[in-house]
Amino acid sequence: MDERLAKALDFSNYMVTLNHQKRILKERFREQSIFYYAGSQFTVNKELLTFVSMLIDKGSDKDVVLVDDNEIPVMIDDLEAFQDEITDVYFSAANEFFTRYEKLKKNRSVEKLTGHE
Amino acid sequence: MSKGILVFARNNSHIDYTKQAVFLAQRAKEYLGLPTTVVTDSKDYLLTEYEGAEEIFDQIISIMPAETPGIKTFRDGALSSKNLQWKNDSRTQAYELSPYDETLVLDTDVVICNDIFLKCFEQQNDLLMYKDCVDITGIDRGNEFIRVSDTSVDFYWATVVFFRKSETTKTFFGLIQHIQENWQHYANIFQLSSTLYRNDFAFSMAAHIMNGYQSGNLVKPVPGVLYYITDKSILWEIDGDSLFLLLEKPAHEGEYTALRINQANVHVMNKFSLNRCIDEQ
Repeated sequence: MDERLAKALDFSNYMVTLNHQKRILKERFREQSIFYYAGSQFTVNKELLTFVSMLIDKGSDKDVVLVDDNEIPVMIDDLEAFQDEITDVYFSAANEFFTRYEKLKKNRSVEKLTGHE
Repeated sequence: MSKGILVFARNNSHIDYTKQAVFLAQRAKEYLGLPTTVVTDSKDYLLTEYEGAEEIFDQIISIMPAETPGIKTFRDGALSSKNLQWKNDSRTQAYELSPYDETLVLDTDVVICNDIFLKCFEQQNDLLMYKDCVDITGIDRGNEFIRVSDTSVDFYWATVVFFRKSETTKTFFGLIQHIQENWQHYANIFQLSSTLYRNDFAFSMAAHIMNGYQSGNLVKPVPGVLYYITDKSILWEIDGDSLFLLLEKPAHEGEYTALRINQANVHVMNKFSLNRCIDEQ
């Protein structure tokens, strides 16, 4: 095989693997961003964080009803404590995403990307 | 309330499902701290072949061999396949067979790598199944796992089913048994392209009917993500909670892309490769 083509195909393989690994990381971030509260489930995203912050700013911090991912209304007794927890969930997930993503970027071969050397 | 895992393991001439069940039960204990009950038509084989099986399983329930098992093509990667018996007809009895008040029914080919399934037991809904699982390859499979056929109803995966015993879930499983007994009729009504019995389809039909013949929310999603590979991909290695996979390339049959996935539950449809990995443990 022409050396130029062989090099390009090697790179192509690397890019396919890299993109798969990135997609799996994004899925993991999505999974790690879910907060389970009193039998209900909330996906913690910028929208939820902003909404909760807005409610607290307006003084609604006790006995607030939020609707969870399954469209079930849930009474949140202490919204500030809830905010602390979802903030923690979000940044734990985001920090892990960042760390793993940075590590991924530095791996320049399929073997290193998959840890199968 | 008692809680545990229920698996069905019925071997055919080439695939040892009891091996997968033993492996699953060990991981269920390690990651979830839950007991596993196995339903099998090969109890003697299980006890002979796997030392300590009686301790590994909470209960071993014997059932009769399937009278008319289906025949299905089982692949081992893109280039190898076998037509083998597929004995998938007993899952509909999960409600009656389960010794637990709260049961997580799992396919034996689910590799547990985290504790997310524990959330099933903490939430309030009595019936959970996945509607959206994540294809690790990212291949566009059209409607294959979205609807039971192009012109039919929403697809639910029977791979992971959580149920809490109640009148509603009893009715649900009763309906599934009725659908199974009248499979040809329901296969026609729901416009299936094949008449081979599939639990995914029967559970999907039952969900649709009990939702009032429309999409609805009787069945809530199982917490967390379930990833899957079809049998055209290969599980190469299991190292604790880390799986090394070779993913099919649809435009280049027989070629694969390597991928490592950590701390994620994966449904490995390539049963041959799963059994090879279990042997290497």
